[in-house]
Amino acid sequence: MKIDKEKKEITKFRLPVTLSVIGLFLIGIVSAFSDDAHYTENKEIAVLVKKDSARSVHAFKKVYAVLQSPRCMNCHPSGDIPLQGDDSRLHAMFPKRGADGKGILAMKCTNCHQAENSAGLKTPPGSPDWHLPPANMKMVFQGRSAPELAKQLVDLKQNGNKDLKALIAHADDGLVKWGWNPGEGRTLPPISHAEFKEAWITWLTNGAYAPAQ
Amino acid sequence: MNSIRINKKEYTVDVDKEMPLLWFLRDYVGLTGAKYGCGVAQCGACVVHLDGEAVRACVTKMKRAIGKEVTTIEGLSENGDHPLQLAWKDVDVPQCGYCHAGQIMSAAVLLRERPTPTDQDIDDAMAGNICRCGTYSRIRKAIHQAAELQKQKG
Amino acid sequence: MKADKTTLDRRSFLKAALLAGGGLILRFNWPVGNAVAAEKDHTAPATLNSYIKIHPDGRVTLFNPNPEFGQNVKTSLPMILAEELDVSWDSVQVEQADFFPEHFERQFTGGSQSIRRAWPILRTAGATARQMLMLAAAQRWSVPLDEISTATGSLYHKQSNLKLSYGEVASAAAQIPVPKNVRLKTVADFKIIGSSKRNVEIDNIVTGKPLFTSDYKKEGMLIAMIVHPASFGREITSIDDRAVRQMPGIKDVFTIEPLLRDYKKNGFDVFSYGQIAVIVGNSTWEVMQAKKKLILQLSGPTGNAQNGKPDFLESTGRHYAAMEQASTQPAQVKRRDGDPESAFKTAARIIERTYTAPFLVHNTMEPVSCFADVRADHAELYAPIQAPEFITKTLSARLGLPKEKIKINLARMGGGFGLRAYGHHVVEAAVISQKIQAPVKLMYTREDETTYGIYRPSYSATYRAALDENNQLIGFHIKAGGIPESPLHENRFPAGAIENYLAETWSIPSAITVGAFRAPGSNFIACAEQSFLDELAYEMKKDPLDFRLELLKRAKERPVGQRNDYDADRYAGVIQLLKDKAANLARPARTGRGTAAYFCHNTYAAALVDIGVKNNEPYVTQALAVMDCGIVINKDAAINMAEGALIDGIGNALYGEQLFKDGVPLKSNFNTYRMIRMHEAPAKIEVHFVENQDNPTGMGEPLFPPTFGAVANALFDHTGKRYYRQPFVKQSGEKS
Repeated sequence: MKIDKEKKEITKFRLPVTLSVIGLFLIGIVSAFSDDAHYTENKEIAVLVKKDSARSVHAFKKVYAVLQSPRCMNCHPSGDIPLQGDDSRLHAMFPKRGADGKGILAMKCTNCHQAENSAGLKTPPGSPDWHLPPANMKMVFQGRSAPELAKQLVDLKQNGNKDLKALIAHADDGLVKWGWNPGEGRTLPPISHAEFKEAWITWLTNGAYAPAQ
Repeated sequence: MNSIRINKKEYTVDVDKEMPLLWFLRDYVGLTGAKYGCGVAQCGACVVHLDGEAVRACVTKMKRAIGKEVTTIEGLSENGDHPLQLAWKDVDVPQCGYCHAGQIMSAAVLLRERPTPTDQDIDDAMAGNICRCGTYSRIRKAIHQAAELQKQKG
Repeated sequence: MKADKTTLDRRSFLKAALLAGGGLILRFNWPVGNAVAAEKDHTAPATLNSYIKIHPDGRVTLFNPNPEFGQNVKTSLPMILAEELDVSWDSVQVEQADFFPEHFERQFTGGSQSIRRAWPILRTAGATARQMLMLAAAQRWSVPLDEISTATGSLYHKQSNLKLSYGEVASAAAQIPVPKNVRLKTVADFKIIGSSKRNVEIDNIVTGKPLFTSDYKKEGMLIAMIVHPASFGREITSIDDRAVRQMPGIKDVFTIEPLLRDYKKNGFDVFSYGQIAVIVGNSTWEVMQAKKKLILQLSGPTGNAQNGKPDFLESTGRHYAAMEQASTQPAQVKRRDGDPESAFKTAARIIERTYTAPFLVHNTMEPVSCFADVRADHAELYAPIQAPEFITKTLSARLGLPKEKIKINLARMGGGFGLRAYGHHVVEAAVISQKIQAPVKLMYTREDETTYGIYRPSYSATYRAALDENNQLIGFHIKAGGIPESPLHENRFPAGAIENYLAETWSIPSAITVGAFRAPGSNFIACAEQSFLDELAYEMKKDPLDFRLELLKRAKERPVGQRNDYDADRYAGVIQLLKDKAANLARPARTGRGTAAYFCHNTYAAALVDIGVKNNEPYVTQALAVMDCGIVINKDAAINMAEGALIDGIGNALYGEQLFKDGVPLKSNFNTYRMIRMHEAPAKIEVHFVENQDNPTGMGEPLFPPTFGAVANALFDHTGKRYYRQPFVKQSGEKS
């Protein structure tokens, strides 16, 4: 049900956008923004923003590959149970998200996950304040297509009220950076953190366009 | 700062701060109620309360525990009469007994936060504690019974 | 009721004395031994390894020399004694075999033998003490013995309204010669047996008191850990300990040979490696850290034609290929009834199915550990061990100390399941203590234990059924084997129920060590057999339980063959009761139901599970068990054991598996070795007992094997697909 609803929304907003960028329809591009209001609010940042759909789409492909990698997706599950492992299976003890994303009852994330990775293979990874997105802002990556995820990432109602500046800053968030220091035996995201950050900012500051699918 | 409160008593920590709390408790304080089962936060035999949360002592290092309040199974109640301990006895839960300190300490957080837990709450709270003897159905029963006892005590 | 015949030699069996400080002590021999050892030794004078004390204040102390690993013998066995003694359970204190050095003979918990063997002895001992108290009262009151009655620790002479407590005559009773013939209670008079008594250790468990070997501490004690070769079939050639010696808290690093090279091993001497490395230090964590830095140099495969072990390093894929090949080759015939070859030749239809199962790890919640303090002239140990008798022999030979100078205190065991019949860790701890001349506690990490071996073997069984043109069963063939042992029990059901029957066995040598695991052999073959019978019934369009009952009827009325190791009536009894109980247990929507029955360890057991799907995986929603283990001693404890056997069986059937690559066990901890958890265990379990007056038999093992079969059959009922290969849930991230 939920997925159907989201698809409808996308269809709704895609129409005017594809018309406006008619010259690029062959590769199929959408803007993640339903309108331009979000990032022009901040004037300082607004001057940086260019509308370059080709650069933006190219950059988002890289961003998307990172966000769909197990290191990022495992804590952005579609359900309320985190995933684990390179095969992104359900976390063995079925810990639940909880309202604040920090687990519930005797199964709070930090009961096992420390401020740093535990030593050894398949031991609890860690970073300060290990948690999932909260229940009222789930920021699901799992199962999201590129245009869906692009739209979600810049939607204040779905991204934790992050404006462009906050989104750019988020590339250096501790939990985000943990993805490149995930502890023994875990596959890294497909590109380096520097490359990711560059692609992330390029995507955001060039109109946040994404491939149509 | 080098002190830690364990079961309402102050201790000075003069071991490597990388040492897990479990081994400080067992080897240095002499509290052996929390058990070593896996060392990698998989089985829950080592669960103690750290500022009230059911942490796995086997992966919780001293550098995190210092300055905090620790409660182990030995300090859960004055006279072994926490509702969970009473219910555990009444239901006669254990077989080998090794995992039960951890089970009870996990259940204690469950009961504190969910005084009338459902079966789903019990699944959600207790899935991190392994019992090879297979006493799960009795653990479930004892938790429900402890919730009743807790209510009666008010 | 069936009368109990006790063929006990009372002169050596019972001895009374006055207790220091007053009261009666009746010493007796409690042969808690493993059946084979005890029966072999029956002419030897019995050791008085247990006692009943009746104190002047009325307290009763019973001494239980049985090792305890969770099967509740520490509670259930004294109940038998208290029953015949006729005291209230509340007045009874049970002492464990701690610090009881000189009487190690036949202390063994395992094979579900404890209750079965203790039954006549404990009843006689209890009844004898009671009779002595009655004789003392008769003297005191000058009345005939048969006018005296007892109830809950008191003696009565109803005619003259006289009453004495046991305590009041206990000292006088101690002067009376031990009577030769005592009368046992009738089952109808039982008050304690058949009731439910709480685990006598429960207060200590729920308050976290030190009960286990790993909790033990002694002044000046050092901590030792081992590092064993990573791969079965390889041995240590040298160690590089340079990094380790620099580490804080490390005292010593060396290698040991746990056994002398010319030592003749007994059955429980399973040592996976000839040599292991040892690190000794001040604290557990420091030694754990050092373990990671120790480098072992290993030899190539040590197998060869002389020692019969493979000359290559073993892998799971190769194991299965070898088992598949073995199952197509002629094997050793263990039983042949009628003319099975002709039956298969003339058959209108042959159904053939092969079942396999992996190596399993015991996964006791407490990893093995042992305390040892070995001095020049004596040794003291604190050990979790199911068979101290056997390990004392091994220790004596290895340490060069006489057996009577070796004292083993038996700790409560954090799980057994067969693993703690093996005492490699006990010997290792003693050898380390002897070498460093200090008291030492040897601790295995979870990884050490999971990768050390002594696994449940890997098995394969091929079943063939010959059906005639009327779809009737005319021939049955089982060919079973394993690495390195076969699970075949050729005289078990359905042998005896089929005219033309053939049973063959094979085995494949391996460097991987194996040992007893909750209901050895049965824990696989029950699943294979019960799956096959289920499928056969389905193919023959019969109800699976009725099909089994039909076979048992034949086995009872016209048994085939000379020796059939089961009682067809009792076997049918559990199946019939399961049928009745199942009829009243509604199967939840969207679940499948499976049943199975088996007989092993003298007890008949039947299991039912209902399986649905939760989180894309099979999930047992409810389970039901029926057991015929004779008289049930401690009802609630028996139910607890049954519930545990069901859950353990479900968990191992769905998830249990150890894998190998180049001799290396791939699973080393619970992060890769999946164990059943709370949310995966059935929330509802029913346990029923066949009520009869047969002597009690084992509880710990018999229900475990049929549970696997019930799971397989329920999976079929739910999915329409037969499951032939354990574990039934594919492990994520792994190919198999």
